[in-house]
Amino acid sequence: MQAIVSVKGIRPYQSSAWRITIIFSGLVTLIIGTLLFGMYRQLMNEQELQLNQHLAAEKARYQQMALTLDRRSFATQIRNADPKVALVAWRNSYDLVGALSLMPDNMPLLPQTRDFPILTGGPDKLHILTGGLVMTRYGPVLIATRTDQLATLIERFVNAAITAMMLTIVLTLALGYLFSKAILRRLVQYNRLSRRIEKGEYSTRLPVSWRQDEFDMLARKFNRVLDTLEDNLHAVRGATDNIAHDLRTPLSHLRIGLEQLPSKPAHELDEACAILTEELDHCLATFDAMLSLTRIEEGQQTLELQPLSLHAICQDLYEMAEAMAELKEQQLTLQLGDDATVTGDKYLLFQALFNLVDNAIKYSGEGAQVHIVQQGKQIIIRDNGPGIADEAKDKVFDRLVRLDPSRHHKGTGLGLSLVKAIISRHNGRISLQDAQPGLMVVIDF
Amino acid sequence: MKILLVEDDATTIEYVVKGFAEQGHNIETASDGHQGLLLATSMQYDLIILDRMLPQLDGLKVLAAVRATGCQTPVLILSALSHVDERVKGLRAGGDDYMTKPFAFSELLVRAEKLMHRGQSQPAKTELAVGNLVMELLTRKVTLDGNEILLQPKEFQLLKYLMEHPNQVISRTLLFEAVWDYHFDPRTNVIDVHIAKLRRKFEELGFGELIETVRGAGYRLRQGN
Repeated sequence: MQAIVSVKGIRPYQSSAWRITIIFSGLVTLIIGTLLFGMYRQLMNEQELQLNQHLAAEKARYQQMALTLDRRSFATQIRNADPKVALVAWRNSYDLVGALSLMPDNMPLLPQTRDFPILTGGPDKLHILTGGLVMTRYGPVLIATRTDQLATLIERFVNAAITAMMLTIVLTLALGYLFSKAILRRLVQYNRLSRRIEKGEYSTRLPVSWRQDEFDMLARKFNRVLDTLEDNLHAVRGATDNIAHDLRTPLSHLRIGLEQLPSKPAHELDEACAILTEELDHCLATFDAMLSLTRIEEGQQTLELQPLSLHAICQDLYEMAEAMAELKEQQLTLQLGDDATVTGDKYLLFQALFNLVDNAIKYSGEGAQVHIVQQGKQIIIRDNGPGIADEAKDKVFDRLVRLDPSRHHKGTGLGLSLVKAIISRHNGRISLQDAQPGLMVVIDF
Repeated sequence: MKILLVEDDATTIEYVVKGFAEQGHNIETASDGHQGLLLATSMQYDLIILDRMLPQLDGLKVLAAVRATGCQTPVLILSALSHVDERVKGLRAGGDDYMTKPFAFSELLVRAEKLMHRGQSQPAKTELAVGNLVMELLTRKVTLDGNEILLQPKEFQLLKYLMEHPNQVISRTLLFEAVWDYHFDPRTNVIDVHIAKLRRKFEELGFGELIETVRGAGYRLRQGN
């Protein structure tokens, strides 16, 4: 626990959970207080009602007595009145009859009452009485009753209420403190782990418990982000490795060429320089293709989206490739079905599709047939060349894979990876199928 | 023509300055963003060639500031950032053309001259002639040494571009952009194929040497004699 407090410098009472606890505790106290106050009022009303009823009954009894009894019997009755029921006092013509030794002044007529203190000889010397006057045939009679038990009751009630409220506050605060400590413990754990990630331990993951609470959701989300980041990092590392690997050969060619340049006869210099420039351009092209591949794959390149007609794209494809097919004495056909519109990046998408047509023309050999078929959101590029063996069909989309081991055709080995990345960014699917004979590339948007 | 080059790399400066000076252009240089902005707004130029990554002030910010003053001088952005979205960003910021490093001077020259002549209203040409090769733009009729050649639309566009820049080395990228409305390096022989077809048509008339291949650079239309 000490570590938690000291490591991050966040103490439980600085946390938001603690703030919520304080608010919560205040609210609970307020609610309980209101409830207790209501109960208190209820109790008071009840007691007052009982008192009033009791006094009203006594009043009726004495009025009745005054009507039916003579003065002497009335005095006797008053003298013998049970003090537990009511304390009664009546001023006879010469003295005070009853339980009280004095008649307080200014007593109101019942049902109005007034509280007044009396002294007794007992252990509890001072008592509070509540009472009022009743007018009878023989003059005013004071009827009163002890209410100090009531006062005691109220006092006890108030004490109990205060205790309850204090307990509530203490209990909620204590729970809240523990609660925020528990939350902080997990946060501090997350914090510690993210520090490790910051330091380069990218395989670190946050623990996910069986509870499936919001922290676990957060941890899972965070872990997913980490997964993606790690993948991207690997991709970038892979790209760098690939670049280093694939550029080595042309770069070493360049180096050799440059070294030999001074010893070349003058009339060969121009040619030699041009060859070197071409080699260098090839390096740059590979380099660019790698970078754009990575950027497109990782979604870093923003697409310039616009609605594109597949008819228009296929027509452009045909137009551009026509002369290339002609040169190899191939037959290039274009077959357009219902037009469809896809939202995409015109240049990228065209580049991808052109790459496929270019490949078909390049690899299907002299005199082959190449078809561009479009129907709705599907484009098929089919040739009747040698095709690709089934086991190699998945491999061709990998970076730097060239099935032609002699590397006779000049290329970066990135074409199809780039095509796949571009099609994927456009939410399309690409698959290689057997055209028997030949290769059929099917693209669905 | 007066050109301002805003660029911080000494090798590039030397290369570009030498190239334009040889072509008879007057070229001034600024080696950081502040200086570039100062010159661009205080002097009159026909073209500004602007690097993207500049010390002190980024090229795009310089461009935005220049455009904010109401200056309409054509700006060619030169940058090592080659991605399509970088290109779009540059053109959106008010650039008129975009070239990525490394580049061939011949291509820079063609692009620069195109931008510098853009503002000048030349009488619309109806005919292009390079040596004994004549192109009538309205009727799209091409004759070589008096013999008519039938060209397909793309071949016509290619030849037109070459005839507009006789004796200049034109890169494949430039030709590609001139003929097709797509900006990407086709990394294929599509241009070579069209040139080959053109050349075969010239060959039939005995002028196979008219379009010259410059290895590692592009094509050049020779001025016939």
